[in-house]
Amino acid sequence: MEAAVASDPQITIGGTLVRLVRSDITELEVDAFVFYAQSDLALGSGFGGMIGLRGGASIQKELDEMAPVDDLEAVVSGAGKLNAEYIIHAVGPKFREDDIEPKLSTTMQNCLQRATEKGIKTLAFPAMGAGYYGVPAAVSAKVMRAALETYLSEESGLEEVVICVLDNPQFKAFEAALSA
Amino acid sequence: MKKTKEKSDKAQKVIDRMGQKLNRQMAGSLLACVHCGMCTESCHYVLANPDDPTYAPAYKADRIRKIFKRHFDWTGRVLPKWVGAASVNTDEDLEELKDIVFGKCTNCRRCTINCPMGVDYATFNRMARGLLVSVGVMPEGVAVVSKDQWETGNQMGVLKEDYLDTLEWMEEELQEELDDPNIKIPVDVPDCEVVYSINPREVKYDPRSIADAAKIFHMAGEKWTMPSEGWDMTNFGLFSGDDDLGGSVAGRLFESVEELNGKKLVISECGHGFRSTRCEGPNWAKTDVPFEMESSVNTMLRYIKEGRIKVDKSKNPEPVTFHDSCNNARSCGLFEEPRELLSLVCENFQEMYPNRAENYCCTGGGGAMSMSEYTPRRLKSGVVKANQLKETGADYVVTSCHNCVDGLTDVIRHYELDMKVTQLVNLVANAIVIDEKPAVPAEAPAEPEVLEEVPVAVGAEGEELPLAGRRILVADDEPDQLDFISMVLEDNGAEILTAETGDEVLEVARREKPDVLTLDLHMPGRDVGEVFELIREDPELQDLKVCIITGKPELRKLIYDRSVRPPEGYVDKPVDEKRLLLNVRKVLEVVHQDA
Repeated sequence: MEAAVASDPQITIGGTLVRLVRSDITELEVDAFVFYAQSDLALGSGFGGMIGLRGGASIQKELDEMAPVDDLEAVVSGAGKLNAEYIIHAVGPKFREDDIEPKLSTTMQNCLQRATEKGIKTLAFPAMGAGYYGVPAAVSAKVMRAALETYLSEESGLEEVVICVLDNPQFKAFEAALSA
Repeated sequence: MKKTKEKSDKAQKVIDRMGQKLNRQMAGSLLACVHCGMCTESCHYVLANPDDPTYAPAYKADRIRKIFKRHFDWTGRVLPKWVGAASVNTDEDLEELKDIVFGKCTNCRRCTINCPMGVDYATFNRMARGLLVSVGVMPEGVAVVSKDQWETGNQMGVLKEDYLDTLEWMEEELQEELDDPNIKIPVDVPDCEVVYSINPREVKYDPRSIADAAKIFHMAGEKWTMPSEGWDMTNFGLFSGDDDLGGSVAGRLFESVEELNGKKLVISECGHGFRSTRCEGPNWAKTDVPFEMESSVNTMLRYIKEGRIKVDKSKNPEPVTFHDSCNNARSCGLFEEPRELLSLVCENFQEMYPNRAENYCCTGGGGAMSMSEYTPRRLKSGVVKANQLKETGADYVVTSCHNCVDGLTDVIRHYELDMKVTQLVNLVANAIVIDEKPAVPAEAPAEPEVLEEVPVAVGAEGEELPLAGRRILVADDEPDQLDFISMVLEDNGAEILTAETGDEVLEVARREKPDVLTLDLHMPGRDVGEVFELIREDPELQDLKVCIITGKPELRKLIYDRSVRPPEGYVDKPVDEKRLLLNVRKVLEVVHQDA
């Protein structure tokens, strides 16, 4: 697990440390991280390209056996040669579709459920749906905070959740949400 | 705003969002057109397709204008048919709009400067692109590149380790070229005068331009550095119309300069990168920029004028012409500086006509090089540029834009012109007089790294043969190329195998297990992308190094979009002996961690 830095914004929810970092999620030393996937589970470009290049071809092969996946669902694959052991592939809402917030909340719930089922202790999330898929960072932050509050208030098995963002605007949005 | 029933969700969201994106400049342009036709002859698409009115800027603009009139202008709400107002209702309507705003315009802005009413079509064409992107309607290539730049921080998905490895490689090349093991390409050095940012294309396809820039900085005695993060000065937000992407990318670059406390950001030769970073970036990122920004063209010119580097123009004797990048020239006014620089480093400069703000697009602008579905249209429109190039009679066309390098290379190949494309950084580096130490001592050198040497043999006349003992499979379906590449490599000591189809590549590679494969991307038989993937997945070919050699840069995605280890090398056609050898030798030096 990447060592926590004292200046990282962090809160504790139901005994689970929730920490905000700005880093490359595919290189984090966590048990698992979440990849915002498409229903055909093609890794594609962006984080998907990094997963494929750094983790190896075995990941896409494993995904091909599981595809397609329903919207809002989440499935777990191995992480190949990456530092993590698992990747949770979550088919979240995209491009300003209707009912973004409840859909995003359901997707979060499914990710957390998969993590518990796998016995994962440390889990990293990106800013779910923000960036390329167009969910405003503030909306993503608000929904993720609420979903974590709900899920982590009961026994989840998770010891640490890392929210790993890619730029300063995302960082500020999540910093505000965590301190609210 | 007028709402209508039975719209698809996406169509309604496009209309809703249009209301948020309109500003005075766009509204003025949307209202001002009088359909005089002055724009028609300014567009290279129209000139190449005189019988197809759908390429006329006024026609294309009307596809967007009618939506504006239907929903945001009172004339369209009251008398829609009289003023040509009409909405978009279905996802098919959006697909048609996509075809126009992405596939029939490069946002070059030549029509803008020729419009007597001041209609800036490119501005609202970009807005329309952004509206479509916001609901997920975009060409596949735009989606791939946008996602790469959002999530990896650069638009070609270059991994950080590959970026840093390439800088190290170029540092070694430069040390060898100048016979000085102390030359560095500094990374993350704080408090420098110059922070140098580049286009990821340089890392992936043209690393020599990084070494050339490093040579110039070194010889000028500049205190400079490159950032390890936030190093991409390109910005696909300009092309996709996504201001949020534009702000995120520009913000990351600005932050890297601030974190390093750099005094000036120098932007390597890239038209859209310069415009995005220097002109649009602060607005997109909603930030003040507390340091200077300049194009490397100005930097190189300044070094010569200040006497920090000496140049000898006789080193570049070939006839050259200059292609003005639309973004550098038409949008940012960078006209005279590149010409002044050319006059200092080239013996024989010939102007291309028309030029400066009136120059025609290379055909690769506006992200067109990433939209392979429109390649036939793009190349057809390239006849205008091809004629311009041909009339100069020059051997080289120089441009200050990486996008233009690719666009021009494609046009030159398609129209079989006997020309090569180069950039000012290459010409300046070539013209530098190296007879003394740099003007100011560079950073204190670290201990030089001991390089793993490529095995060499001694030839009959005592010369070293750098590829002796190496077996290289040369794959190309063009006999001239096959012969040339084979001859160069064989003359340098390699044992050569050949293949002319995709199936042959697989067969020979599996049978002979060569050290290196030079792979053309366009060959008959089995798809080359598939061949590459099969090679990568074959446990017996894990040690095979692959160097792509292609004249069709738009086919790169066949290889680089695959979830397998990328090629170890890449060379653009037309290939010359020096570049070929440089890349093959480097490919042989690559050691994979998982090997």
